[in-house]
Amino acid sequence: MKQNYDFDIEKIKNLSHEEKVFRKKNLDLFYESGFPSKQVEDWKFTDLNLILNKNFNNISNEVNFESSEEFKAIDNFEHNFIFLTNGKIISTNFDHEEKSKILVKDFNQEEVINIDPSNALALLNSALSSGGFSLEITKDYKLKKPLIVYNCFSQDLKNKILNNKNSIKLNEGSELTLIDYSDNNTQSNFIKNTVDTVTLDKNAVLKNILIQNSKNNGHFYKYTRGSLEGGSSYENYILSSGLKLNKIEIEINLNKENSSCDIYSALNLLEDQHQEIKTRINHNSPNCKSYQKIKNVLSDKSKGIYQGKIFVEKIAQKTDAYQISKALIVSDNAEFDAKPELEIYADDVKCSHGSTSGSIDSDAVHYLMTRGIPKEEAIKLLINGFLNEALEKITNNELKIFLEKILERQINGH
Amino acid sequence: MLKIKNLKATINEKLILKGLDLNINPGEVHAIMGPNGSGKSTLANVLSGKNGYEIEGEISFNGMDLNDLKIEERAQKGIFLAFQYPLEIPGVNTNNFLRTSLNSVRKARGEKELDTLTFLKLIKEKAKELNIDEKFLSRQLNVGFSGGEKKKNEILQMKLLEPKLSILDETDSGLDIDALRIVADGVNSYKNKENAFLIITHYQRLLDYIKPDFIHVLSAGKIVKTGNADLGEQLEKTGYAKLS
Repeated sequence: MKQNYDFDIEKIKNLSHEEKVFRKKNLDLFYESGFPSKQVEDWKFTDLNLILNKNFNNISNEVNFESSEEFKAIDNFEHNFIFLTNGKIISTNFDHEEKSKILVKDFNQEEVINIDPSNALALLNSALSSGGFSLEITKDYKLKKPLIVYNCFSQDLKNKILNNKNSIKLNEGSELTLIDYSDNNTQSNFIKNTVDTVTLDKNAVLKNILIQNSKNNGHFYKYTRGSLEGGSSYENYILSSGLKLNKIEIEINLNKENSSCDIYSALNLLEDQHQEIKTRINHNSPNCKSYQKIKNVLSDKSKGIYQGKIFVEKIAQKTDAYQISKALIVSDNAEFDAKPELEIYADDVKCSHGSTSGSIDSDAVHYLMTRGIPKEEAIKLLINGFLNEALEKITNNELKIFLEKILERQINGH
Repeated sequence: MLKIKNLKATINEKLILKGLDLNINPGEVHAIMGPNGSGKSTLANVLSGKNGYEIEGEISFNGMDLNDLKIEERAQKGIFLAFQYPLEIPGVNTNNFLRTSLNSVRKARGEKELDTLTFLKLIKEKAKELNIDEKFLSRQLNVGFSGGEKKKNEILQMKLLEPKLSILDETDSGLDIDALRIVADGVNSYKNKENAFLIITHYQRLLDYIKPDFIHVLSAGKIVKTGNADLGEQLEKTGYAKLS
């Protein structure tokens, strides 16, 4: 197959010689395999190479960072924000907070993140990354309001790939709700390849929420790697419906005792949308907890995938790990694949997993219709009921209402 | 209001209703009694528009051919079925469901939809009349409700949607005596000259509280006897066997 991309490190501005050499090395490593196809085990349900060949022509990494869009923050929801265009910080606002407690800056691209060399997209990210932010919260500071990171995009991204790196570090005892909000109204198809590094120090609490605000032709890949210290907690909520292609890969390392990780997803996939969630939770220490609940509603010709692995080290006794994926399949042409994996070396653990898929309960639809609710609306009510469960752990009422509205909009097809 | 003429209903190639005639006028309360398998619930299902039945004969409701109306249109035009086994619907919030239902019906009737606050005020009032704890309204629809709570929830929906014809399918089953009284009071307080009730029941019990104008005995898919309220007491003594 002909090579469908043209990557050039020279198109990235302000690089030192050493950095160019480092990036070139990573790019060469990427070239050895190219974009992964379904022959690669990690990509067996998402043939990225095939999908990109079908939808892109000569993908290039030449990206402008000038913001042309008039930025508009969300109304009726008090929040702090970082506003990014194509991944680069344009403005920030922390008016609700003590500003000295929060450090935000452009991501230092020279910071080397060790990444599994078999991950071709992470290699590509290391070769081409530009843009991205790094955020640090000082010890014991608990943000009063959520932080929305607005990801906006310029209109000239057709056949482009964006590579961003972000870093989020919560020092001991600090707390943050971070909403990664993709505000994508461009209809051009482009690729976004993001690597996030999350570091949670002792007793830090991070709620990380992923939202797509519109239906669009974006092809997104995001790799998040988290390292958790004792007593810290990472919660992830995935509400990313709307993208043409999305693969979210999350690797969480529960490195010290009593750390915990929760992953929830609520996806309503339509048309030929394709979303994969791949997780790997490493229980590296005793007494840690992980909980994953993945919910997908699949209509039309959409495809949803969940590959979830729980890895328990020998020393990680008293691990409590759980994962469940539930799919509601609305159309005969939709597909859901689940691949749960447990790899356990400790002998005193509680680990379980489950996967179910089913169709809409026609008796429930009938019941709702006898109450005057038209069929289409009845189905939406049931879908909402099914997906809403993913928000059950959110206790902050304002946040819950905000997310419920987002979910409702996604159920209505944006 | 409701005119049924020679109604036959078949499901899975089995003829259940074998030529049923029934006329219900505004202000009337009709009871249908009969043994198991006589077709009582089939009649309720057919009137509500449940899929899967092959139907022959005429059913008209306020001059409209019922067969032409979709399930939700029947509800919008004023037919309400209180289910024998109300469904548990996980994830769907009771309040949210009730508001969607009421607003769908209001919209179809050309009335203004209610905003959340107005709705909450209304529903709290109606719930109080039926002795329903407000907490139930914020729970998932019927999930974990007791039999009595589910039935009360059905009557709440009836009072909310203000139907012209209410069909109560074995609403008394699974009710203790207190719940039975509350349900009966709910029905009696809604009853007026404009609306009508069709009460499907096994036992006389409910009819001690809601006095019917007519009692019909359904047996093997046909009404075999019609009488006044006394017929129920008579049946209680003699059983259905002698009638069929």
